[in-house]
Amino acid sequence: MMLAVRDAHLKLGATSVLRQVSLEVTPGSVTALVGPNGAGKTSLLRVLAGEMPLTQGHASLNGRTLNRMSPQELARRRGVVTQSTAMAFDFYVDEVLEMGWMHNCRANLARAAAQVAGDCGIAHLAGRRFNTLSGGEQQRVQFARALLQAWQPPEAAIGPERREPFYLLLDEPTSSLDLAHEQLVLRLARQARDYNIGVLMILHDLNLASHFADRVVLLVGGCLAATGRPEEVFTDRILSSAYGTGVHVEWHGQLSRLFIHAH
Amino acid sequence: MIGLLGAVAVAALGLSLAIGAVPISMWEMLRGASTGLDHTIFMEIRAPRVVLAGFVGATLALAGASLQGLFRNPLADPGLIGVSSGGALGAVCLIVGAPTLTGALASYALPLAAVAGSVSVTAFLYVFSSRFGQFSIVTIVLVGIAVNALAGVGIGLFQYVSDDASLRTLTFWMMGSFGSSTWSTVLPAVVIMAVAALPLLFLGRGLDLLQLGEATAFHLGIDVRRLKRRVILCTAVAVGAGVAVSGIIGFIGLVVPHLVRLAIGANHRFVLAGAVLLGAALAMLADTVARSLLAPAEIPVSLITSALGAPFFLWLITRVRPA
Repeated sequence: MMLAVRDAHLKLGATSVLRQVSLEVTPGSVTALVGPNGAGKTSLLRVLAGEMPLTQGHASLNGRTLNRMSPQELARRRGVVTQSTAMAFDFYVDEVLEMGWMHNCRANLARAAAQVAGDCGIAHLAGRRFNTLSGGEQQRVQFARALLQAWQPPEAAIGPERREPFYLLLDEPTSSLDLAHEQLVLRLARQARDYNIGVLMILHDLNLASHFADRVVLLVGGCLAATGRPEEVFTDRILSSAYGTGVHVEWHGQLSRLFIHAH
Repeated sequence: MIGLLGAVAVAALGLSLAIGAVPISMWEMLRGASTGLDHTIFMEIRAPRVVLAGFVGATLALAGASLQGLFRNPLADPGLIGVSSGGALGAVCLIVGAPTLTGALASYALPLAAVAGSVSVTAFLYVFSSRFGQFSIVTIVLVGIAVNALAGVGIGLFQYVSDDASLRTLTFWMMGSFGSSTWSTVLPAVVIMAVAALPLLFLGRGLDLLQLGEATAFHLGIDVRRLKRRVILCTAVAVGAGVAVSGIIGFIGLVVPHLVRLAIGANHRFVLAGAVLLGAALAMLADTVARSLLAPAEIPVSLITSALGAPFFLWLITRVRPA
């Protein structure tokens, strides 16, 4: 059970965007996808979302070829949060949230939506128009919408092993968030592991990546430069060479976490 | 709210049936006590006209609401992407090319020619836009402008080569009116409109999700290509059939969805149904004004809808946020 690409090559026009990338996202884990601008992170995320077919290689979800699955089948197994765009019409926040509901039966919708909205700190926004929200508020609504997409009826949620695996793909989920909400969203992404959800998120902040991810995938120029636990990938040598600037990594004993800064 | 719009539509239906150049007592009509002449006027002249106005109004409003949802642009309208002018081109082709066609054959041939026109224009639009790798909204709107211009050239050419008799038919028809309705012309068009427009009512969720962007709609389980094809095909067929019998009637497809959104919000499940009811009501009322304001003469109904719609359109432009 995993969301995976093997020997992935992707060409957009004449440009080679991904070259021989292999990657697995397993349910119950958080993977951070990091790398400099233009490394192909968003393209890789779009491939994993089933949005773009590979030029070469194989992309699969729980063993099934991604491109052979219908949009509906995919939507029941993976959620995606991309950068938010304005809407042409005035939808209410609760209407946008409910767009993530994948079940025909609406009996559990109100309870599930209220819980997700409470978790994401957007309950007080329910009656507002989506277009009047700030960028950060919109981003939280979109995140909540993806969490609602992952909702499964209680009988499926008795234990992680009984729940259908689900995958959350997040493209810079914290780009517009303040410090507190950044922590809130990433903590929720981490908690999702308990629900048999595999999370892959693109992050630019390496400190956040090292703190919240179980695994880190470093992409440079469309190639996999390094992959492993944060302390394996985040070293002075690897990061300095990947980002083309001096990067220093130290272990902060008091906080017991990595501290990464460029100089 | 939908109930209220339903009541408005029923009231508009009653009013349109009751008012006309010849005063007819509704009460006597219902009791079956009306004279033979009143009965004939009501059943053979007024009723088919009101039915046609209702169906065309409902179809245009539903098509407008669907296209606005599809293009994520509140300024979209069947006229905008060339659907209406494609239909007009098909119909003009038939009017000029086969002026001797009359009777039952004509009442089927005209809607079919218009449908063929609007569908082929739309198919061209679709193929042309999707050849650029993606079937993007901006492309299709720009291509729509070009298609409109081309259809205009075609119509102009036909006008140029037509004789006096067909030119008169053509001009009157181009102005947009429900005036020439008889059951035999109305029924085929109404059947085509109903069959083509009905599936649109079930695309509400897809259109809602599309507002989050094409990629997100796909992430939430929508086959975006199929949704686009459905909306475009259904609106092309329905609008083509409407254009065939009533000419191009402007602004209903633009104005009505907005009024409905103001009343009941942006959710397409309600907007689509509301547009059907309000579009029918508005077209029936506009037609009632058109035929009774200067009775026994009548004003082409499209002059009334445009007089109401154009200022509304200007107001809308000042309000629309860039999406």
